[in-house]
Amino acid sequence: MARSSLSTLYVGLLGLATLASGLADILVWAGAGPGVTFGILEIAGGDFFRWGWGGAVMVFGGLFMLSGLTHSGSLQQSAKVLLGAIMVGIIAGTDLFALFCESVPAGEGAPEFFNTASGFLGGIAPPYSPAILLLPCILGILYLIGRGEPDDA
Amino acid sequence: MNEPIDTGTTVLMVGNPNVGKSALFNRLTGANAVVSNYPGTTVDYTEGTLIEAHRTCTIIDVPGTYSLTPRDAAEEVAVRLLGEYPGAVVLLVLDATRIERGLYLALEVIERGVPCIIALNMTDAAHDKHISVDAAEMERVLGIPVIETTAISGEGVKQLAGMIRNAKAADISAISGRLNGDGAAEEMVALRSGCSGCGVCGR
Amino acid sequence: MQRLRGVRPVKLTTNERWDLVDAIAERTVTVGTYRQTIGDILGELTVKPATGIPVAVAVLYAFWSIFGSFAGTLVTDGFMVRLFDDHWLPWLQAAWPGPDSLLYYLAVGDPLAETCFEAFGMLTSGLFVAIGVVLPAVLIFYLMMTLLEDSGYLPRLAVLMDTVLHRIGLHGYAIIPAILGLGCNVPAVTATRILETRKQRFMMMTLLAIFIPCGAQLGVMRDVIPDLVGPVMLYLICGFGIFGFVLDRIIPGENPEILIDVPPYHWPAWENVARKLWTRTKGFLKEAVPFVLFGVLLVNLLYLAGVIGALADLFEPLFVTWFGVPKETVGPLIAAFLRKDLAVAQLSTIAMTPYQMITSVVLISIYFPCVATFVMMLREGWKQMLAAVGVLFAVVFVYGGLIHAAGILMGVA
Ligand SMILES: Nc1nc2c(ncn2[C@@H]2O[C@H](COP(=O)(O)OP(=O)(O)OP(=O)(O)O)[C@@H](O)[C@H]2O)c(=O)[nH]1
Ligand SMILES: [Mg+2]
Repeated sequence: MARSSLSTLYVGLLGLATLASGLADILVWAGAGPGVTFGILEIAGGDFFRWGWGGAVMVFGGLFMLSGLTHSGSLQQSAKVLLGAIMVGIIAGTDLFALFCESVPAGEGAPEFFNTASGFLGGIAPPYSPAILLLPCILGILYLIGRGEPDDA
Repeated sequence: MNEPIDTGTTVLMVGNPNVGKSALFNRLTGANAVVSNYPGTTVDYTEGTLIEAHRTCTIIDVPGTYSLTPRDAAEEVAVRLLGEYPGAVVLLVLDATRIERGLYLALEVIERGVPCIIALNMTDAAHDKHISVDAAEMERVLGIPVIETTAISGEGVKQLAGMIRNAKAADISAISGRLNGDGAAEEMVALRSGCSGCGVCGR
Repeated sequence: MQRLRGVRPVKLTTNERWDLVDAIAERTVTVGTYRQTIGDILGELTVKPATGIPVAVAVLYAFWSIFGSFAGTLVTDGFMVRLFDDHWLPWLQAAWPGPDSLLYYLAVGDPLAETCFEAFGMLTSGLFVAIGVVLPAVLIFYLMMTLLEDSGYLPRLAVLMDTVLHRIGLHGYAIIPAILGLGCNVPAVTATRILETRKQRFMMMTLLAIFIPCGAQLGVMRDVIPDLVGPVMLYLICGFGIFGFVLDRIIPGENPEILIDVPPYHWPAWENVARKLWTRTKGFLKEAVPFVLFGVLLVNLLYLAGVIGALADLFEPLFVTWFGVPKETVGPLIAAFLRKDLAVAQLSTIAMTPYQMITSVVLISIYFPCVATFVMMLREGWKQMLAAVGVLFAVVFVYGGLIHAAGILMGVA
């Protein structure tokens, strides 16, 4: 019982965090401001595709996680949480892939093709988008669901 | 090695959409037919050559169809091909997880009196879903060879290739007879051993 | 086949046949207890509208994001631009003899050009567009499309889209040729065979040829007009809807309801993915690349012969007054018949306002299908093809004018 309420709390908080960062993505984009940075967190805004559309995906991800909270433990509900986690995973994954693709080639105007090792590391260093920062916690959800399945099924 | 002998036999692969006909076809012939996980991938036919025991025959991957009353242009192609090759052996591909509608089409083909052989595909998926199909019993009831295959891993494909020559035309009334346990119809057809004279082996 | 004639054909009724099926199945099939797995439930969630639509939105997002990162940022901007503009172009400009000769003009193009886009020679722009821009685009596009095909997501998308597509007289399954068409219109034309009635097939073939841009074209668009891809796609989707609705009213025929057969999800087998990717990419290299090069050659020759200039003057009233785009867009329109990717690349070198660019890219997309698609349509029946071309001209004229009018209303054209 304690275990399950703890995991409910975990999923709930994560769902709220996801929902909030999705809304923040959209707001920053809609405000068309310069973007915000807190420490290692950055919401650049500006680009509709990433922040408007991607933000909407995050919002849905958060909502799915929250809607899977009641009667947690039933397979149906775990599936919703998992789906929410996958949505965040999609945004985080594509963000990471984009960082990688930007950092492999040398910068504009450089004569060589590949980036230097330090340039590459600089390219993939923080600040990160909220989705990337949430990714480790999302992996926690996968662990919870993976562990939960045998006794549910 | 001398040239394989062309037996002049044509084999049509007929079955419901998405049962793995194209996957099986690629395994049998080494061809490159498109395989995707949705019904209606193949909308035109592809020909390939099967070389088995030093003999070759032509295999045609036919678009999937639910019945011989075509509903769309792809199914029309399937029915047209059956008409165009009246003497062809029909390799009926069934999805072991969804046997019934596969059997429906199979019976429609069997009724035409053409030599048939059944590939019971997707046995791996059936196993995962705890569905078991008794291939030997089906073979006995239908009176045509039934071979279990898994096209994606290639299991059973070699055996299938070897059995194509044993394809047989089946008699519907005999099938009903065997189902009703009618003793007179119980003459067991020697499917596996010896030759049923389909000609693939040239005997 | 005389040896078979021991068995006489019989014909059962549908009911008799089903009875027999049931009897056989009862004899041979045993179904054990099967407990739903989380994967099965996920599968259901992706077809229910409340959860399925957000998932579709996410899938589309992933598709475009990966497409842009890989083809645009990594390969084209990261490596190809550098390779072609900094190494290939200067080398070719120096090495090819006689900058004033005809051959130089055709092969290399402008001796003073600084980018391969501007040079517009066969070996400069032609190769750059084909290898530098379009090849990476189709490669990643085909990879992702193959994953969608093999996982079993497409039929679920079809279920989701069913209600919407029924509004315009199509069936949910029409989404399959539409998605295939985003890769390349050629196989998509044949794929319309899975639609039931002649009406549906005709409608889908026509709409496909007109409104669905192919992967190659998308790749070039992403590269040369990244900010305008959104509006262009919006116009194309709206056009699909509007003209679908109109065609549905005009064309006689029905739109039957059928059940969509949804197969279970499974992990794509990597051999199959690799095999399909290889076959499709090989097809692109063999068929598209020569066409791009030939397209550049043809357009250059037509320019030299003054044909394009004459056509531009001839169509000036239509282009400038009706569509609101510069008359120079006639050149790209001719190239568009060969390859749309090339045409978009060519457009990007013409000076115009962003709205004019949107209009002309939309026009390029909806005007005539490329030659390969055209041949494919012809194969599916020449009468249908002629009718499709008729529809096409009407659509180009009407929709081009509408877009211009919309621009005027918004105060941007
Ligand atoms: N698990 C499993 N999957 C299979 C097997 N055979 C084929 N498949 C998968 O089933 C799907 C359909 O295979 P295809 O070969 O395209 O089916 P088809 O019968 O040709 O389908 P149509 O061309 O649409 O008529 C693909 O995703 C295959 O990978 C099998 O034996 N086991
Ligand atoms: Mg097939």
